[in-house]
Amino acid sequence: MIKTRTWLLLLAALLLAAGLFWWLGSRRNSGSVVQVIHDGQLLREIDLSDVREPYEFVWEDDAGNRNRIRVEPGRIAVTDANCPDRLCVHQGWLSRALPPIVCLPHRLMIQWKEASP
Amino acid sequence: MSKDPRKPISLTLRLTTDAMLTALALGIYFLEAQLPPLVPVPGVKLGLSNIVTLFALFRLGPADAAAVLLARVLLASLFGGQAVSLLFSLCGGVLCFLVTWLTRRLLSGKQIWIAGILGALAHNTGQILAARFLIRQNAIFAYLPVLAVSAVLTGLFTGICAQEAVRRLRFPPRLS
Repeated sequence: MIKTRTWLLLLAALLLAAGLFWWLGSRRNSGSVVQVIHDGQLLREIDLSDVREPYEFVWEDDAGNRNRIRVEPGRIAVTDANCPDRLCVHQGWLSRALPPIVCLPHRLMIQWKEASP
Repeated sequence: MSKDPRKPISLTLRLTTDAMLTALALGIYFLEAQLPPLVPVPGVKLGLSNIVTLFALFRLGPADAAAVLLARVLLASLFGGQAVSLLFSLCGGVLCFLVTWLTRRLLSGKQIWIAGILGALAHNTGQILAARFLIRQNAIFAYLPVLAVSAVLTGLFTGICAQEAVRRLRFPPRLS
């Protein structure tokens, strides 16, 4: 039987580690290029610092799965989707501190492009 | 490790108990699905139906807990109508079950909350692996720290609920 105090210590260490990874992950990306990826394949690469006028485009597959993506100067978001949970819409603008925007039911993802070494 | 002396229960009682727990878990699952998402991050949820699995594991044993879990997962995705959700629930649920089952030997009846946390962490890890398989991008692992923090909080909550249920409920009745 392990003491409760030991478990609490382990728990605190875990939370600290998670927080550290989160912080490091959010600091890594400094570029302005985002990638729209479906099923592991790159659909579009957009340099958000080159965007002058806001525009939208719609991604749709053969099955009728649909995501409307809005691009504005410096930022990008999914504004509409016909997936069941619509979490991709609720995630709002792609943030540097948070993980990429994903629409798991549609296997769609929007992420910052990793800076090439 | 349950403090109850392991008195046997009849097979019929065991079957009906497992069936009732499955129905309870299903009800909780669909009730929770009605709640608006707490945070717009896929995979973050309370996981209330794990209370039932934990209760089954600590009160009845691994076989009953596994039966309740699998029946709940299969029925939920059958009624829910999404094939993708079955993959996520299975990956998360099975990993969660294995971890809580293995840690059960290390824990006393007052430490079920730890099993709740470890199970929630395993559940979210399993879901991330399923998502990695679906979306085929390693960037999805960026969700791990966020999900770990949420798993500790929600797992603590469901773990405490299960611990209190195991402590307070005298169910199912034992044969004397």
